[in-house]
Order: sequence, then C-alpha cells, then structure tokens
Amino acid sequence: MKALQIIKYGEIKDSLAFNEVSKPTVQANDVLIEVKAAAINPIDKSIILGNLQGMLPIPLPSTSAYDVSGIVVETGNEVSNFEIGDLVYSRVPQEQMGTLAEFVAVTSDAVSKKPGNISFEEAASLPLAGLTALQSLEYAGIKENDKVLIHAGSGGVGSFAIQYAKAKGAYVYTTTSTNNVQWVKELGADRVIDYKTEDYKSIAKDVDIVFDTLGQNYSLESFEVVKTAGKVVSVVGPLDEASAKMFGMADYKLPEELAEASSEKNVEYKFIFMHPNGAHLNEIKSMIEDEKIKPIVDKVYPFSESIQAFIHLASGRAKGKIVIKIH
Amino acid sequence: MEDLIKKIKSRLHLRPEAEEFLYSISKEKTLSKGEVLIRQGQTVKKTFFVTSGCLRSYCIDKNGKEHTLLFAIKDWWISDYIAIHTDELSTLTVECLTESKVIEFNAKELDGIHARFPEFESYQRHNLERHVVSLHKRILNQLQLSAAERYDLFLKQYPDIEQHTRNFHIASYLGITQQSLSRIRVEKVKK
Repeated sequence: MKALQIIKYGEIKDSLAFNEVSKPTVQANDVLIEVKAAAINPIDKSIILGNLQGMLPIPLPSTSAYDVSGIVVETGNEVSNFEIGDLVYSRVPQEQMGTLAEFVAVTSDAVSKKPGNISFEEAASLPLAGLTALQSLEYAGIKENDKVLIHAGSGGVGSFAIQYAKAKGAYVYTTTSTNNVQWVKELGADRVIDYKTEDYKSIAKDVDIVFDTLGQNYSLESFEVVKTAGKVVSVVGPLDEASAKMFGMADYKLPEELAEASSEKNVEYKFIFMHPNGAHLNEIKSMIEDEKIKPIVDKVYPFSESIQAFIHLASGRAKGKIVIKIH
Repeated sequence: MEDLIKKIKSRLHLRPEAEEFLYSISKEKTLSKGEVLIRQGQTVKKTFFVTSGCLRSYCIDKNGKEHTLLFAIKDWWISDYIAIHTDELSTLTVECLTESKVIEFNAKELDGIHARFPEFESYQRHNLERHVVSLHKRILNQLQLSAAERYDLFLKQYPDIEQHTRNFHIASYLGITQQSLSRIRVEKVKK
C-alpha cells in the first residue's frame, strides 16, 4: 500500500516521501481501518523536524500522522465492539503511528464510531485536538460558571477547547491575533482578547482554570491570572513532578519560579499528556452530533499533495485543522 | 407476536396452520439501544416488525454523512427492501434508537407466504400499496413543501419521536441542517 513516510529528520520537503509499504497486520485487539482521511498536527511537524527525537524515538522510515477516519475492514479475534463496515475515527497510539497511508491497524480501545452528521474529513480533524482539550479541561474539573482562560483560541486545540468549555457552561476568555478575533468569537468565546492590542492579564483575572497551549512565559504568567486554589493545565509548558516521575525522571523538579507561584496561590499545575481513548472520542461524537462542537477544517488536501499540506501546517497560518483525503 | 397476529386476523381469516407457519419463520427479539440489525454493505435476509421502541434506517453517502430514510415505531416494518428484492448488498443501515422489541422474519419466506396461504395475497398487496403511498407522499412532500411544513407533518406522523431521536436524525430525515431545524422549532414556539 502507499504511505507517506518520514525518511529522515530535517526540512519537511526533504524528509518526506511516498513509499510502497506492506499493509499492517491485525493483532487480536486491533481493527484495520481503510483510511478515508487523516489530519496533521503540530506534533507531526515536530517529529519530522527531529525536535522530538529524545522523547519519541521512532525508527526511520516511519509513516507519519496520528489522526484518522475511515471504515473498519478487518477485526482482530478479540474485538467485540466493532464490526466490518463500521465508520470510525481515532487518534492512534504512538506505537501504531502512521495514518497517512491507505490502511492503519489500531487497537480498538483507541477507536470510536465517527459522528454521523459530519464527513470523513471533518471527523479526521477531531481526535488529537479534541482529546487534548477534553482531557485537559476534564482534569481541571471544568464546571458550569467557571471562568476559563484558553490561550490561542484559533489553534486546533484552542478552537475545540472553547467550544467544549462553552458546552460545559463556562465563561470563556481566549487570546488570538487581530485577524482571528471574529471567527473565534463565532466559536462562542465570551471575551476574545486580541493579544496584539490588549493585555490579556488585565482582562482575564481570577480565573478558575488556565489552559496553557503556548508554554514559554505563558506558563508562568498563568499564575498571575488564576485565582487562589485554581488550576493551571498545560500541554506545552514544563512537566509537573508527578508526570516526570512517570517518565523515569525521579530527580526532576518543577522550575523554581513556577513551583513558588504554584505554592503561593495554592494552585495545582498539571502537564497533560493526551492519551488515545475511544470512550472520550465517543463523548466527542455525541457533542458533535448535538452540534455543541463543530469541527473546524482549514483545508483538505488530496493524498498526493500531503507534503504541501505539511508546508501549510508549518506556516502556522491555518485557521483550524489541515486534513488529507486518502481514499 | 400476539399483537401482529391480532392485526392480521382483523384483515383476513387466519387458518391455524398459517398462524403456525408465521410462528415458524419468526423470532421475537429484544434489542438494546445502538444495536445494529442491518449494516450497509451486507447481505439482507431479515425483515422486522416493531412491537415497541424506535428504529432508524439510513444510508451513508460517499463523504461519510448519514441520511435518514425512515423511523420505525410500534406496528411499522423495517428492513432494506432494495437489498432484499434485488439480491444486492444493503445500501442501508438499520439501528435501534431506543431499547426495542421486534419480530424478526425471514424476508423471502414471509414474501412467499401467499404461495402456501393464498389469503395473504390481498393482505400483502394492501400493505405494499400503503408502503408505496407513504413513499410517494414522502417524495412529493420533499419536492413541494417548505422545511417547516415537512417538520409539522413529521411530528404528526411520529408524534412521540422527539424523545427517542437526536436532532441530527430528524434534520437528516427532513433533508435540512441542524441549524435550520433549531430555527424552525424556535419559530413554532413563537407561534
């Protein structure tokens, strides 16, 4: 079968190639998905550039991408929750990475039926960003009337998080640049802060939850705007100590300033590792079918133009997700 | 099954051996919400008479979106009749929207019942005519009525259905977007 593979680390245009590879074999708990559409995410770009070699060592060549929608064409012996012909979507686990291919085998625990009211392309845009947002805000215990600051509202994760937080009844502040203010408002954010002309710290004050999708100085600044005993959840900032321990970094300490700020305000800081989860995708399916959340697709590329799709992703200018149509 | 037998008896003289035959080709089933009875792309051999609950038949277009053909509530039949009568693979999926009870029949055997029991001929023709009338009405309504009018008719046809269905099921039955359906509902409340 045809697959878009990472052949070396480096510049996108030099590091990707279409290869003929063997069709994946199905383990007892796997389903084989005929891929209809795959979506690409910033992490896919970082892997290609070689920025994650330490954290996510992958053998080269490897097929790229994690997000997929398609049709189940084969099931492993122990799969009981899916049948051939089911229309599904998934964020595949690390060890099964490779959705930019005609077929992908995925453990059935990471798969859900796709929402019935949207296309394959829209469905493929959801899993990674949706799971990241859902798991982060769920960890933070989001509830009705909470004030939540979501950074980068126009990003894949941010645009989902705004809609998810609104569906939970929260009051949402979000930051974005001038060009994106209008469409981010349309996602339902209560107060869209144009970071080019406004200081978000003087607008979003004493919030219950900060969802940090930017990292760097934004992680520390989160403690200036969060209320006492609030929560800061981050998907890009420094690891928290418990998460670091899970990765075998027993001596890891939270950066000093962050630790101080966290203890001064009695605010929990948590780094969220998105984990593939079929049950969470099923929850997202219901929210999509009830139109509490809408998929935001910037552009759909044909499979043959996947490399251009990655170049578009790398430009950082996409409003919503970039999707690649496979079949 | 007794309900169905009673319905049939109200329309024709049902001989004991015909009744026995009906029992021999049928099976009563209790189905849970979400259960799929017919899956697009498969061979179809069964047809179902609904005794309680609510089922839906739908097709999936090439983009992966669902389009609802019909809802089946108490006393309705549901299957993929295109597949049964053409011996082609199913173009429809039939799923339970609520816990439901159905009587499952082997479609070909049910179809052939009039060969053994001729009294079923006019009964089956009548059922088929009613089915054709209902389909024609659905097509004509789709062609000439506004979305709001179609929604009104839908509510008359399926009075209690909204408690069993998702908005997107109804919108996809009416051939409108979910936003349009919400708008129509708001307008109705205002009236």
